[in-house]
Amino acid sequence: MNTTRIAAVMRRHWIVLRRAPHRWFEISFWPVMDVVLWGSVGAFVAQDSPDARAGAPFLLAGLVMFWTFTQAQFAISLGVNEETWTRNILNVMTTPLREFEYVVGIAMFGLLKLVLCLVTLTVTTIALFGFDLSSIGWGVIPIMALLVVNGWALAMLTVGLVLRFGQSAEILIWGLNYALLSFSGVFFPADALPDGIRPIASILPTTKAFSALHTLLAGDPLPWDTLAASLVGTVVFFAATISFATWLLGLFRRRGFVTRYS
Amino acid sequence: MDPVVVARSLTKRFRAKVAVDALDLDVARAGRVGLLGPNGAGKTTTLLMLLGVITPDAGTIDLVGHRLPRHRSRALGRVGFVAGYLPLPENLKVREALSIFAGFYGLRRPDRIIDAAIDRFGIGHLADQQSRELSSGQRTLVSIVKSTLHEPELLVLDEPTASLDPDVAGRVRQTMLDLHRESGTTLLVTSHNMREVEALCERVVILSHGRIAADGTPAEVAAAFDTDDLEAAFLEVASQSRRHGGADDLPGEHFGVHR
Repeated sequence: MNTTRIAAVMRRHWIVLRRAPHRWFEISFWPVMDVVLWGSVGAFVAQDSPDARAGAPFLLAGLVMFWTFTQAQFAISLGVNEETWTRNILNVMTTPLREFEYVVGIAMFGLLKLVLCLVTLTVTTIALFGFDLSSIGWGVIPIMALLVVNGWALAMLTVGLVLRFGQSAEILIWGLNYALLSFSGVFFPADALPDGIRPIASILPTTKAFSALHTLLAGDPLPWDTLAASLVGTVVFFAATISFATWLLGLFRRRGFVTRYS
Repeated sequence: MDPVVVARSLTKRFRAKVAVDALDLDVARAGRVGLLGPNGAGKTTTLLMLLGVITPDAGTIDLVGHRLPRHRSRALGRVGFVAGYLPLPENLKVREALSIFAGFYGLRRPDRIIDAAIDRFGIGHLADQQSRELSSGQRTLVSIVKSTLHEPELLVLDEPTASLDPDVAGRVRQTMLDLHRESGTTLLVTSHNMREVEALCERVVILSHGRIAADGTPAEVAAAFDTDDLEAAFLEVASQSRRHGGADDLPGEHFGVHR
């Protein structure tokens, strides 16, 4: 692994971010709008319900964690797409840069974007609703770490699909993200999901991560067994999507799909 | 001298179509080789296989002494690639693009190298321009600069002067020749401009249906097809290729010069 090459990938994407105002939307505008929307919904529901689970903190904590997952996923998915959108992929593939180094570079850059996004979210949730995620305790850190890895895993799945099916598969970057949002019980316990969906939700490592978050929000200690189950699922999900993306990258090279972008 | 490219029995099929058919190709170090052929002859597929971008169905490739695909990264550290049809990344100024590609080539603190390259190729006036604002000729020139920052032993150029006016194309050609003369860089070029190939290349390999139809100096290839120049020989290959649907009946197969 060559750190100079990885640093070059990070620098490339930093310049793109700096130069394109619309790319700041995913770090600032959309998260802030989500805070306003979901925080207000939570505050409204809490007026009639003494149940803390229905209040703004419950929704806002889920929101911050969901953006953690989303930033990790988008960093890789959109990072690779940046090269296809700008027809730069052949330029990149004819340098010594390895695929693994490229992914590490955009993932590391994604962590920087995540920090910026979390600062935005924290300031906004405190300013508008008096909610500070750090007040829940250090237990949020392992949950965040699990969600970051799950975001990377979903990104590998969508990268593989885009490599295989081209730009028509790009919609899955947002589509699968939204599906996971719906199935993982971000804002509510997973047992509130319809019967037919619950089995899917039960095997998702993200569902268990959000469940652990809900436990913390209720004032209970961190449920290590739930966290461990999420960790196992995360490892399996990550390994499976890495294998899937590697297989489809091989197919991309065998079928000569690079010519789609040149 | 040891060759920088050794390909053996290189084969690639796309569904039923055979794009490259058991191709054997050597490119000598410090050589200037033109890879020619009608559209669909397999030139770009061959180049992309030689660069490790497309995986062959069969055959072996040694690129600057490294076997592909296992040592692709190491090999590409000594190879540059320029394609006339490829844009530079948007949202980057020329100097930034050069800096990033220098990083991809593993060059630490490349500022001095970039300054020297900008001077050498006379593109100082472009350094702070956005890549997307460049004309086709400027873009090709910057692409050559980008691909030679790491002083490659082999420079692969896919239609480098396509869509350039004759004046700009001439300057790009001169840049390539200067690079070859000053640094001993091996040039492997595809082009549809036969005059350009005659001026640039000491050896030409004409592909037809993924096989070598002719291989030799431009004069030897022209003579083998009983024509006056390379363009007429190329047209003869294209015509026979259309008639026969394959390269089997073509004369002049494997002259074996410059091997």
